[in-house]
Amino acid sequence: MQFVIVGAGRVGLRTARVLREADHEVVLVETDPTTAERVREDGFEVLEGDGSVEDVLLQADLESADALGALTGDLNNNFVACMVAKHYGCRTVLRIDEDYREEIYRKYASDVDEVVYPERLGAIVAKNALVGGNSRAVADIHQNLQMVEFTVTPRSPMRGYSISELELPANAELLAFGKKGEPVDVPRDDVSLEPGDELIVLADFDVLGDVRSIIVGDTGRAALGGA
Amino acid sequence: MVTAYVMVKAHTGNANKLRDDIAAIDGVENVHIVAGDFDLIAKVSVGSPAEVKEVAASEIQNIQGVEDTQTYVAMD
Repeated sequence: MQFVIVGAGRVGLRTARVLREADHEVVLVETDPTTAERVREDGFEVLEGDGSVEDVLLQADLESADALGALTGDLNNNFVACMVAKHYGCRTVLRIDEDYREEIYRKYASDVDEVVYPERLGAIVAKNALVGGNSRAVADIHQNLQMVEFTVTPRSPMRGYSISELELPANAELLAFGKKGEPVDVPRDDVSLEPGDELIVLADFDVLGDVRSIIVGDTGRAALGGA
Repeated sequence: MVTAYVMVKAHTGNANKLRDDIAAIDGVENVHIVAGDFDLIAKVSVGSPAEVKEVAASEIQNIQGVEDTQTYVAMD
C-alpha cells in the first residue's frame, strides 16, 4: 500500500520505518529542513514543506495514496491534513496531543477515521516493564478490550493440557500461541501447554483476572494497561 | 454593543455538555466545537466590555470541564 506520513518526528518517523519494513511505500512530509535531510539520508522519500497545505500534499502523491497519517505534534496541522486527505479519498489517522481529546475527535471529526494518542501505548509499555511478571498487556483494543500476552507457569492449572482443552471465559479469545522461546503463531488445537509457552488473548477487562488464573495460575491484579 | 470570541480549552471529552452549558449563558450568541488547540469557540454579544469579562471570566471559566479561556474582542 501507499502512505503519506505528515511529520517526520519521533512518531512519524517510527511509523514510516515499520511501514517500510512491511514493504509499503511511504512519503514523508516534514517542515524542518534539518529533520527532512536526516530522514532522507535514512533512505526515505521526504517532501520538505507544510503538510497542512494541499499543494504540498499533492506533491507527496496524495492522490494515489491509500491513507494519510497526520502525526506531527501540531493538532491544527494534523486536522487540516486529514481534511485534505479525506477529500482525496484517503483513509485518515490523526495524532492527538491530550488524551481527553480522543473522545471529541472520535465523535465530531468526520474526516478522521482513526485517532492515535502515542503516550497511551508508551504508558502500557512502561507499566509492563515496571510490573514485570507473567502477563503483559500488548494493546488496548477498545475501552473495555485488551490484548494480553500470558506465560504458562508451573502453577498453571492448564499445564499439560492441550489448547483444545483450554476453556476461556465467554468474553475472551485465544489469538496466538507460541512454544517457549519460539515466535507466536496461529494456535493449533493439538499443542500442549507447558511452562514458558506464551498465549496472546483478547479479553474484556472484566474477565482478564479469570483468564490470568486459568493460564498463569495465580490471581491478583488483573487489568494491566488501562493507561 | 460589544462582540467577542471566547476560545475555550477543555479538559474533558464530554464536549457536548460543555457546548450546552456555554450555549445556555446569557449573552452567548452561538458556540461550536472546533478542531485544534482550543476545543470550543463561543461568540458573545453583550452591552459593554465589562459584560464580556463577566461572561468569559466568571461564567464560562466556572463551568466544570473548562480548563482555560482566551477572549478576543471584535474591533469592527
